[in-house]
Amino acid sequence: MGRPGPSAYHRLNPLTKLVVALTTTAAAVILGGVFWPLMIVFVFVLVPAVAARVLAQLLRFMLIFSLPIAISALLINVFFYPGGQTVLFGLGPVTATAEGLSFAIEILCRIAAISGAVTLFYLTTKPSELVLDLERRGVPPRLAFVTNASVQTVPAMAERAQQIIAAQRARGLDTEGSAWKRVKGILPIVGPVMLGSISEVEERSMTLEARAFTRPGRRDLLWSPRDTTLERLARYLLLLGLVGVIGAKAAGLV
Amino acid sequence: MTATTGQLSGNRWLWVFGGLIAFAIATVIGVVALGTFDTPIDPDVGYSIPGANSFALVFAIAAIVGIVVYALMEYLQTRRISSITSQFDTRTLVLMPIAIAFNIILGQAVGTALKIPIYLDSIGTILVGALAGPIPGAITGLLSNMLWGYVVPPPFHNDYIGAFAIVAAVIGLLAGIFGRMGWLRPRPNRGLTELAVGAAIAVGLIVGLAYLAFLGYAAILGSTDLTPVPGQGDVFGVPLFTLLGYLALLLVGGTAVGLVLLLVVRRDLTAAYVVVAGVITGIIAAAISAPISANVFGGVTGAGTDFLVLAFRQAGADISAATLGQGLISDPIDKVVTFFVVYLILSAMAVRTKARFPQGEDLVSAEASA
Amino acid sequence: MTLTLESITYRYAGTGRASLSDVSLELADGEVVGVVGGNEAGKTTLCLVASGLAPRSIGGTLTGRVLIDGQPTTDRPMHELAANVGICFQNPATQLSQVADTVFEEVAFGPLNLGLARGEVIRRVTESLAAIGITELGERDPRRLSGGQMQLVAVAGLLAMGPRHLVLDEPVAQLDPEGRALVAEALRKLAAAGTGLLITEHDTDLLAGLCSRVVVVDRGKVVASGPAADMLADPRLDDWGVEPPARVRLQRALAAAGVRSELPQ
Repeated sequence: MGRPGPSAYHRLNPLTKLVVALTTTAAAVILGGVFWPLMIVFVFVLVPAVAARVLAQLLRFMLIFSLPIAISALLINVFFYPGGQTVLFGLGPVTATAEGLSFAIEILCRIAAISGAVTLFYLTTKPSELVLDLERRGVPPRLAFVTNASVQTVPAMAERAQQIIAAQRARGLDTEGSAWKRVKGILPIVGPVMLGSISEVEERSMTLEARAFTRPGRRDLLWSPRDTTLERLARYLLLLGLVGVIGAKAAGLV
Repeated sequence: MTATTGQLSGNRWLWVFGGLIAFAIATVIGVVALGTFDTPIDPDVGYSIPGANSFALVFAIAAIVGIVVYALMEYLQTRRISSITSQFDTRTLVLMPIAIAFNIILGQAVGTALKIPIYLDSIGTILVGALAGPIPGAITGLLSNMLWGYVVPPPFHNDYIGAFAIVAAVIGLLAGIFGRMGWLRPRPNRGLTELAVGAAIAVGLIVGLAYLAFLGYAAILGSTDLTPVPGQGDVFGVPLFTLLGYLALLLVGGTAVGLVLLLVVRRDLTAAYVVVAGVITGIIAAAISAPISANVFGGVTGAGTDFLVLAFRQAGADISAATLGQGLISDPIDKVVTFFVVYLILSAMAVRTKARFPQGEDLVSAEASA
Repeated sequence: MTLTLESITYRYAGTGRASLSDVSLELADGEVVGVVGGNEAGKTTLCLVASGLAPRSIGGTLTGRVLIDGQPTTDRPMHELAANVGICFQNPATQLSQVADTVFEEVAFGPLNLGLARGEVIRRVTESLAAIGITELGERDPRRLSGGQMQLVAVAGLLAMGPRHLVLDEPVAQLDPEGRALVAEALRKLAAAGTGLLITEHDTDLLAGLCSRVVVVDRGKVVASGPAADMLADPRLDDWGVEPPARVRLQRALAAAGVRSELPQ
């Protein structure tokens, strides 16, 4: 019994998608260089993204999240690469080196692989489905609870903070003025949100206990994502591939 | 579970011993393996032997192995791991998601909106560690990173933070240990000599680190600009980030002032403990995260800490040394601020509320619990 | 099923003063009992003891016994008691489990925790939603509901575990008038269907329409107990910090103005 997803890739078992993300990330980091990470991005990120019809979103997110680190990596490595000999150009007191540039490009490729794999995963997987699947496979219910609750609490808490900010704005809190003014205004927000959340712990834990949360032992699940033999095979192949990559790298083949 | 306490602690020493042996073996294996393992990035010049720089990482992994073996031994003997699971009562399980949310929201805000070299992504981890114990603290840290890096969608998402999960776990572990040792217990109204000694140690540590940080910044040509990148804090129209980023600035300054106030006005010796705990945790965290940052990302993460890495690289240091240098400046500052904030939160909680947590008794002043 | 509190004295952890002193109370099967009293009178403590959360979940010392059908519950763990006595609090938002994306899953949380099989859980949830009258909310996100609706979801979640008694601690205190009406209606349905209810409230109007019996608590002791109509019109209510229902106040005001009145029942 599974829930419909917009595409076949979406409907894959969450564990499969997670294994794809983790193995490709690890492989890209281990293999290094330029060619392999880019190959991995093409085969394991872009192609599935097209199949899942999330390519535009994927590229957009990848760009947004890679940009700061990419700029840093370029700046630091192009200009400050120790032992760089081949000078490309000079810029005032600093010089750009070719070795630095090539190293920077290697880093960028690796970043692209990591970013792509991760983005593909969260764009196509609902967290609660992943947790349900893991729970079916034997993850303790209490760990599953904490994970699910965390995923829900993050946006909820942020929303509550936003509401307080909006309320403060309506009361004339200056959120656009000088740094000091802004800073003065924040404290009345963060304090209540943090302390308020903590003060709810008592009631929330009573609520859970009133719903038999402390009962030890297994729990049945309302539903769980379906898994197919084909996917199981694919997961093993991916893991095998990763082992192979590690071996090849250690043996100096790649 | 009716085993007598004596019986239980006798067994527990056995498990601890087993865990320690596993830790030692894992450390040796790790050091030997890394010493000969050829890392993927391999700039020819000036790159130290990866093994030497990855000691801390090896230790951290070995610690995890030790804990797993400990748990395994307890499980095999008693069919359950109650010394660990007792730290996970309902209250703790309810606190953890809240703590994880603190970590992710604050950490994301500081990382995206403000280009200053602190993280502020461990307040929740250390809070849980102090209140509930080392293992819940470690799990909180671990889960925070995993969820932040792989599961939570934008705008609270960070593609690269997952690699540092083990650092977060160790931070939680340390916080739990400090909590259990009573370091975060309020100690108001202490005598002058005690306070003077505590203040001397704390101030000495802070001044020393601040000086190093100043050196780092002075080495950067020109830019010591701390203002946030315009528009960066408004990703997806969330002005929350910019504001929280400024909060980070406030916190650093506020921490210094607050610690002084604690020492002078309330004559609370715990201020010194907070500083020492923060520095120790910071140094260990830096030591573990440096090899990860260096080997996986070449030392950059896109956050404000990159300025420091830049400074060290400019001075001629290789990637490993630069990331370690950056960490040794950012992490202690970050952790002192974090421990201080956690101490404030704990102070604001009623004694009754704290006492119900597994390690709550260790966080309550001696007078209050009498 | 009868729920009996027998000579209950309870102290919260770390306090010397008893929050409840020698309180005895019996809830017969299907009875709807209201509890009124001023602030800090012990109403909430009474609920916590009746449900078993005190002392299991929150510590403290309890003397006396809580009995279900004459059997003491002293050695029974919280998760067993949850299936016998449900407890609902006043804040609807903190009663969400935070792990459910839909109301259906939220209501299923309790039954699943009890270890029931999936088929049984689905049956119970469907029944429970129907009993409260919120079947159409089944696929909605529980966090996006109104306060009153959230409270109904909380009650449905408790009901699905099959308790014969529900304890409700000021269930409408944080709701707007629309929410109050919703909850009042649902409670009426439950009472009619035979679920025993123990409701503490400041809102005596709500109790007037629901309860057959009312108990007054003051400073940890039961000071009065009797049929609802009598208790709620008792002139001593003000001394105990309780505001009588509108009907009673109206009658008193008219009488004070010298107007003879006969308000319809």
